[in-house]
Amino acid sequence: MGVDLSVDVFGIKFRNPIILASGPVGFGFELMPYLDFSNVGAITLKTVTLKPREGNPPPRLVDSHGGVINSIGLQNPGIEGFVEEIAPRLKELKTIKIGSIAGFSMDEWEILGEEMDKIKEIKIIELNLSCPNVKGKRRWAEDAELTQKVVKIARKLTNKPIIAKLAPDVTDIVEIAKAAVDAGADGLAIGNGIQAMRIDVETGLPVLKLKTGGLGGPAIKPITLAKVFKTREALDVPIIGIGGIMNWQDAIEHAMAGASLLGLGTAVMVDPEAPVRIIEGIKAFLDRKKIESFNKIIGVAHKGGLNVH
Amino acid sequence: MLIEAELKEKKISKDYGLFTFKLYGDLENPEAGQFVMLKASDEPVLAKPFSIYSYKNRELTLFIKRVGRLTGKIFSSPIGEMFYIRGPHGNPYVDLIDGEKQYILVGGGSGIAPLNFFSELHPTMVYEKFYGFKGSYIRELFTEKEQRNLIIEEESGKTVIDVLKDIYSEEIGILACGPVPMLKNLPATSYVSLEAMMGCGIGTCKSCAVKTKKGVKLVCKNGPLFRKEEIIWEWI
Ligand SMILES: Cc1cc2nc3c(=O)[nH]c(=O)nc-3n(C[C@H](O)[C@H](O)[C@H](O)COP(=O)(O)OP(=O)(O)OC[C@H]3O[C@@H](n4cnc5c(N)ncnc54)[C@H](O)[C@@H]3O)c2cc1C
Ligand SMILES: Cc1cc2nc3c(=O)[nH]c(=O)nc-3n(C[C@H](O)[C@H](O)[C@H](O)COP(=O)(O)O)c2cc1C
Ligand code: FES
Repeated sequence: MGVDLSVDVFGIKFRNPIILASGPVGFGFELMPYLDFSNVGAITLKTVTLKPREGNPPPRLVDSHGGVINSIGLQNPGIEGFVEEIAPRLKELKTIKIGSIAGFSMDEWEILGEEMDKIKEIKIIELNLSCPNVKGKRRWAEDAELTQKVVKIARKLTNKPIIAKLAPDVTDIVEIAKAAVDAGADGLAIGNGIQAMRIDVETGLPVLKLKTGGLGGPAIKPITLAKVFKTREALDVPIIGIGGIMNWQDAIEHAMAGASLLGLGTAVMVDPEAPVRIIEGIKAFLDRKKIESFNKIIGVAHKGGLNVH
Repeated sequence: MLIEAELKEKKISKDYGLFTFKLYGDLENPEAGQFVMLKASDEPVLAKPFSIYSYKNRELTLFIKRVGRLTGKIFSSPIGEMFYIRGPHGNPYVDLIDGEKQYILVGGGSGIAPLNFFSELHPTMVYEKFYGFKGSYIRELFTEKEQRNLIIEEESGKTVIDVLKDIYSEEIGILACGPVPMLKNLPATSYVSLEAMMGCGIGTCKSCAVKTKKGVKLVCKNGPLFRKEEIIWEWI
């Protein structure tokens, strides 16, 4: 039996719900020898900033039980470098491209939004409001008002679907999510890495040069899952569930909590073929449950579980 | 592709060990300087880089220093334990160095791993080998012939840097891998193989950054070998 994995959101048809989250896969090109992009629903490109950034001093990564803390610091070629060197090559990636941007001021958001809007290959724009790794900067997504302002600016500049990428570690994610949606966001990505750190007991110093970073991987799955669930409960807007999806069970959990698309970060970094394995697992699960379409399980945890179908 | 790697043999002396894995798949034309990303079946989540020490007929040998969670797990694993690897990743040394020259291989601790593979594959390019360790206990891991290359500080009071000074001349190249303080003490024209915390090993995640005079580079994608004089050491 052929199960239908396709998902229709933002007026776009994704061939399956598994997408690559922004960051761990860069702009995707180096991954091409390991992953056939026509197998994934979409790729979210590495976040681009206005100016080129060399990123944080090392170490930029440390593992901890159940996860990985990263402090990359948005290393990227800047929007000009992106437009000139990366954009012309995006055709090579045989899947839907989501562009990710992060501004440090309202003016920067405006320029970034404009430039991304012009790039044909970019079908969706994700606003990274939640990078935990920029020195001295508060995350936009910690504040509903700021979130709203940024989304409003982007909304004026583009007709492409806009996704607001939120921080899971905030007091009330629903308040921030509502602010983003009210300002015109078409969808929410929940979420980024969770602020975390490790200290080397021998030296008494933080392991990461910038002291704290963003935790991803299995450890954060139950946390992000709750945020996806709470947001879905309050709002009827497409959600990209990102956080600790390492296998098909994690993916299905996120979908049942209300995510229409499922983003992989740490999983692809560890194993470039993880997307394929997870898609196969989802297919086999739906097959076993005799559910003909992935869409049927989205949000079922809110609707009495699987039995109603 | 993740390849299953079954622990087949281990030889341990305190915090160092030689581990041979039987692979259920091929490493394609592995070269010296290249590394594999090795992962345990559960924790830690991350796959970690290890240089190829030797590879023959789907048998991969790694030379490992026990420093933390994954290496600790490898040391305590029984024969038959399954791990996962992918690779080879990183650039072969021969692609990055002057192929006309001969080289003194300068290794410190686990840094001897890629140098061993280099000397297996390219014996005619090797002028001399100095493998530095602190304690005599390391002898146990090597054959008598191999032991001739060891510089053991506890025995001679000398480091690899000391013995290198005695024979170094400009015509001979230096190919080095080891701890940063050792690398920093080498002549400017040396080639140094760097370590960094890695996430992907293939150039996508930007974890393994190193600052050079030509900007920020990635150990996995642009290295692991760099000219010593190109590195901005203060950043490390
Ligand atoms: C290209 C490359 C080749 C390598 N080849 C070898 C090899 O042949 N043999 C060998 O024993 N080791 C090698 N290493 C280092 C090895 O990857 C680390 O020792 C290993 O990741 C430690 O894992 P762990 O879980 O045991 O330690 P953790 O519990 O993660 O950390 C323990 C300690 O090790 C340090 N450490 C962790 N990861 C790295 C890393 N990637 N590089 C350097 N230090 C690290 C940490 O700062 C910490 O102090 C190589 C590293 C690179 C980048
Ligand atoms: C190495 C690395 C780099 C990342 N870079 C970005 C980035 O540039 N932009 C962004 O929005 N998220 C970035 N993230 C966060 C991931 O997209 C993801 O939200 C987070 O890791 C949680 O998902 P996971 O548990 O699947 O890893 C990065 C994560 C990692 C591990
Ligand atoms: S380890 Fe990911 S870029 Fe080098």
